[in-house]
Amino acid sequence: MKLTKIAAVAAASALALTALAACGGSSDNDAEGGSDTLTLWLAGKEDTPKKVEDWLVKEFAAQNEGKTLKVQHIDWGDLIPRLNTALQSDKTPDVVEVGNTQAATFTSVGAFTDLTDKLDQLGDDIGPKSFVEAGTFDGKVSAVPYYWGSRYIFYSKKAFKDAGIAVPTTLDDFAKAAAQLKADGGSKYSGFWLPGQDWRNGISWIFANGGDIAKQDGDNWVGTLSSPESIKGLTELQGLFEKATTAPKDGKDAEPWTAFNNGEAAMFMAPSWARFSVEEKLAKDLGGFALPGVDGGAAPVFAGGSNLGISAKSKNQDLSFKLLKLIYSDEYQQQLAKNGLGPANDEFTSLMGDDEFAKSAIAAAGSSKLTPASPEWASVESASLMEEFFGKIASGEDVEATAKATDAKLNDALNK
Amino acid sequence: MSSTRLTHRAGTYGLLVPTILVLVVGMAYPLGRQLILSFQEFGRAQQFGQPAPFIGLDNYRELVTDRTMWAVISRSLAFCAVCASITMVLGTAFAVLMKAVSTVPRLTLQISMLLAWAMPVIAAMTAWQWLFDTRYGLVNWLLTKVGLSDFDDHNWLIEPLSFFFVAGVIVIWMSVPFVAFTAYAALSQVSEETLEASHLDGATAIQRFRHIIYPTIRPILTIVALLQIVWDLRVFAQINFLQNAGGTPSETHLLGTYIYSLGIGQNDYGAASAMAMFVLALTLVLTFRYVRSLLKEESR
Repeated sequence: MKLTKIAAVAAASALALTALAACGGSSDNDAEGGSDTLTLWLAGKEDTPKKVEDWLVKEFAAQNEGKTLKVQHIDWGDLIPRLNTALQSDKTPDVVEVGNTQAATFTSVGAFTDLTDKLDQLGDDIGPKSFVEAGTFDGKVSAVPYYWGSRYIFYSKKAFKDAGIAVPTTLDDFAKAAAQLKADGGSKYSGFWLPGQDWRNGISWIFANGGDIAKQDGDNWVGTLSSPESIKGLTELQGLFEKATTAPKDGKDAEPWTAFNNGEAAMFMAPSWARFSVEEKLAKDLGGFALPGVDGGAAPVFAGGSNLGISAKSKNQDLSFKLLKLIYSDEYQQQLAKNGLGPANDEFTSLMGDDEFAKSAIAAAGSSKLTPASPEWASVESASLMEEFFGKIASGEDVEATAKATDAKLNDALNK
Repeated sequence: MSSTRLTHRAGTYGLLVPTILVLVVGMAYPLGRQLILSFQEFGRAQQFGQPAPFIGLDNYRELVTDRTMWAVISRSLAFCAVCASITMVLGTAFAVLMKAVSTVPRLTLQISMLLAWAMPVIAAMTAWQWLFDTRYGLVNWLLTKVGLSDFDDHNWLIEPLSFFFVAGVIVIWMSVPFVAFTAYAALSQVSEETLEASHLDGATAIQRFRHIIYPTIRPILTIVALLQIVWDLRVFAQINFLQNAGGTPSETHLLGTYIYSLGIGQNDYGAASAMAMFVLALTLVLTFRYVRSLLKEESR
């Protein structure tokens, strides 16, 4: 059968092609190495602004003759899997940025070089403290704060004025304002843009009511999403999902400003740098305030930001530390602050400005909280456990039952 | 004389060395590693240098007693069966159509299918995701325009069944061209004389397809179907992409994404390897009959 042979050859080549295509995915890691090049992994496309990054590359080359700094950008969603495989290989990046809540995953297995003895070379009083703690395991500091950001509310001044609403001062007022804005705005309009699976913003309601994701009980982590405080927050949140937003129930926290730019939302919640993604013609209309607490003041929100670590496998330990020192230099810290990123050296926090945005950011950061400091937390994130949980709350499922079920999953995942 | 023959023979075997090397490096090593991993406790600590203890069949036991695995397996089998059969039927139908129409429409068909086949998965997925977007998607807009107002802001990915409908449409769209082209090539081997003769004898189009065309192209369709089953069983990129776009990952895992989430996502490489061994066994069971009939065909 000649035909069979043709088919077999066709099939074999098709298979070979897929195999090759599968290999192709990882080849971008190859062309590195050589101790003249230092590799820095930054998370997100432009979370570190381009011009700040350019300054770093130029200054590094100027200070270290014959050496170059190569910056690679890793998407947040890929970061954990990429670090899992890269940090233990011979082609490890030298210095990496890692989300503050993800640091424990790597410090707990010794993936980063211990920096405890060198900490004073980076500055007298580096912070925020919670970030230093997030980078500490067994008393050893191996991931240091890079920048902090905090989530606050962006709003349309015009929409507030048209509806005759003042900036809310309690969480309850906020919910009422959001519902009224939506009722006034029509079927496509969101008083408050809140996608269902956006747990990083939604968690603020749990925190504000005194709840938490999980707490440590001896050696064990216990999920506390079904504690009375958390349930109260989640119930309020479900009310918002129902009455205040038209965002997709399975939407995540990516690009929350899109609806605002399209004139389809009066408010959204995002880290400080989101301000620069709002369309220029709307900039005048844009205002900001920290999410109010239950009894006024600023509600505790999720502390965004990241840490930096030197890969323990890196062959350029000294040069890597020089890069850290450069990042901790006054010039670089000032540039971070001017771009709305909270600097590790709090001398420069004031450079973030004194407009309402900077004030909101600093107020929100003052009472911000982190996720459980378990080394297994990253697994919870990659399994999308929190996304699914908040999505279900958004879809109107029973709060208490869903919270209990998710607590059980958290107990499993955090105590491996 | 004998020494030249010996060199000659050594040379012949020498020619096999590259092939064997490629097979050993590309297949035997990963498979062996996977087999060993599946009997080990291998998590993040092991990845960063801790010794990996052997734990016998624990990984397998954990998987078998977990309902998730069975759900994932049955979901994958159902998805594979539906996608592979629709793909085969559509692909063959397109091939027959290409044979029947004149040059211009045929070329148009061929080019558009070639483009669909050549499109990089991630680019295609981005376009598909936009088509099915809840707020700004073309599909919802069209359905609303024709009067189905329920589809205003309809969420396609949040319900698992609807999620798999979208995933199925995309997977089938991507695989039909290959089947169509291969079947078209096969159709060109069907003897015109026989067809003409049967025509004269009064055979209908359906009879001609069933008794002449189908038997001729059957061996090729068998191989393509076999490939299709393997491909649809280990579909990964499309599902992973849609899971990132929305939906509920834990309710929409197929074999590929489940293994990925166990291994790369949650650092349980032992369990992931054990799961991958299951998939290997499953693929062998599913395709065994085809491979055997293929070998028979070959030796005839």
